[in-house]
Amino acid sequence: MEKTGLFGEFVKGLWKENPTFRIVLGLCPTLAVSTSVNNGIGMGVAATFVLVGANIFISLVRNVIPEKVRIPCFVVVIATFVTIVELAMKAYAPLLSRSLGIYVPLIVVNCIVLGRAEAFSSKHPPIRSILDSLGMGLGFTWALVVISFIRESLGNGTVLGFYINRSFEPALFMILAPGALLTIGILIGAINYFMSKRR
Amino acid sequence: MNQLLKFGLVLGVICLAATLVLAVTYEVTKPKIEEQLKAEEQSALKSIMPSADSFVEKTLDGIEYFEALKGRTVAGYCVRVTGNGYNGPIRMIAGVDLDGTIEGVSVLENSETPGLGAKINEIRPGESEPWFLKQFKGKSAGTIAIKSNIDAITGATISSKAVTDAIRKTVDDLLGKLKK
Amino acid sequence: MDLSAYIAIIISTVFINNFILSRFLGLCPFIGVSKHTGPAISMGIAVTFVTTMASIITWLLYKFVLLPYNLQYLRTLSFILVIAAFVQFAEIIIQKKSPALYRTLGIYLALITTNCAVFGVAILNTDMFFINNKAVAGSFFMSVLQGFGAGAGFTLAMFLMSGIRERLEFSDVPKCFKDAPVTFIIASLMSLAFLGFSGFKI
Repeated sequence: MEKTGLFGEFVKGLWKENPTFRIVLGLCPTLAVSTSVNNGIGMGVAATFVLVGANIFISLVRNVIPEKVRIPCFVVVIATFVTIVELAMKAYAPLLSRSLGIYVPLIVVNCIVLGRAEAFSSKHPPIRSILDSLGMGLGFTWALVVISFIRESLGNGTVLGFYINRSFEPALFMILAPGALLTIGILIGAINYFMSKRR
Repeated sequence: MNQLLKFGLVLGVICLAATLVLAVTYEVTKPKIEEQLKAEEQSALKSIMPSADSFVEKTLDGIEYFEALKGRTVAGYCVRVTGNGYNGPIRMIAGVDLDGTIEGVSVLENSETPGLGAKINEIRPGESEPWFLKQFKGKSAGTIAIKSNIDAITGATISSKAVTDAIRKTVDDLLGKLKK
Repeated sequence: MDLSAYIAIIISTVFINNFILSRFLGLCPFIGVSKHTGPAISMGIAVTFVTTMASIITWLLYKFVLLPYNLQYLRTLSFILVIAAFVQFAEIIIQKKSPALYRTLGIYLALITTNCAVFGVAILNTDMFFINNKAVAGSFFMSVLQGFGAGAGFTLAMFLMSGIRERLEFSDVPKCFKDAPVTFIIASLMSLAFLGFSGFKI
């Protein structure tokens, strides 16, 4: 069963099985919060924390949980970690928690988290699960940063809140909903193109 | 049946553990969260009325407001205002002097669309305060209105109007009750 | 609260703040199940049913359990559990009562537990509604209507998208843009069209 090396488990989430660009999962938060790089990083880190925490736990108890009730059990574990993140954010990063809004509790239904729990952690020992979920989380984060960088710079004329060039008139379109969908569509298409060329 | 019991038991134990963990986290973070909210409010109050030394929270006819004190004399009032924004509530604090002239407005929380409504809180490069909110300064609270003496943000009339109307109504209400 | 406020909620959730096209909730099924009109509409109906029912249940839970006992921090956990339990329950009932309906809706019901739209509407219901210039957690009818409106908006977007994608099968899309990428770009154009509604604030 254990074919890939430990390093491979980690790396696959970054590129080959990148949750956003390759598997196309967890899109709601990706598109909704990617209006600024700050939000993108915040969301990425929050989701990574939930992913790693929930997956370690699920991997530890994987032999105790009966097959039939596994989904509700996973969901409860994930919801617990999400609420911890939500409370911690409110206490230590109130500004970030404001701008992420309802998308923090929505990490619960982020398909990436439940997807990894179901497909990986419930079948693998903790060390592999940590590496897998960390890779997936970081893959998700960098995807978010790329998308939010494109949207913030083109749509608002800023990067991390700093103005790039005063004379640049931002294209509002990019920061609104359609811009998000367009950005991710073109990015996925471009990545598909490069992947097929390489082969 | 036996199996069902086992399922229920496992799920129950997990739920119980989860609730316990959350209760502990909540208790640990609660004071910190409240402290953050207080600190945020205080810094907003200070920025609205830099000359006041202290703010005392009071209640009158169900309206909560702050009395800004300069030494022992009352220099003005601040009040929490909530506007009906485009994507949800906009929480603000507005400050007026004794004549009802606005000293300043500060937005604490908003979920307006980035690039449009969120500009109510946008600070232009090289400036120190949001340009939209600056317009309110020095105007009588009862007179402010979009299109007459307040310029709306392009493409975000709803957000601009929500802010303006909420401030006018809430402050007017407070001043009316204070006069009685 | 008069009738116009209720109508306003429906119009606003279906068109102005369409769950898929402006809030990005429920995107996964929107991309995954929108290839043909039939399944797309079935999915839409299933989602509408669940969002409406979930609004009712979570509203009751929030109002009578979480608020009185100051347990708001359990919101996420309890909502997702209740929704998951409800979906499971609905699945069993439909399977028993109407096998034909189950065959068309069944597989979609299972997917709905992790649909952000359902959970999103439950959270939004507790967050914001305006009565007399004060933000309050939604009244019962407003929540139910918002739940229904969210589902209806979802169905509308699914229907439009599946119609376009059925046509798309005959067109010559570059290979690397097939499926997901081109769907996103179409969704972007649809979302742009829906932005036209955004001037309204009812």
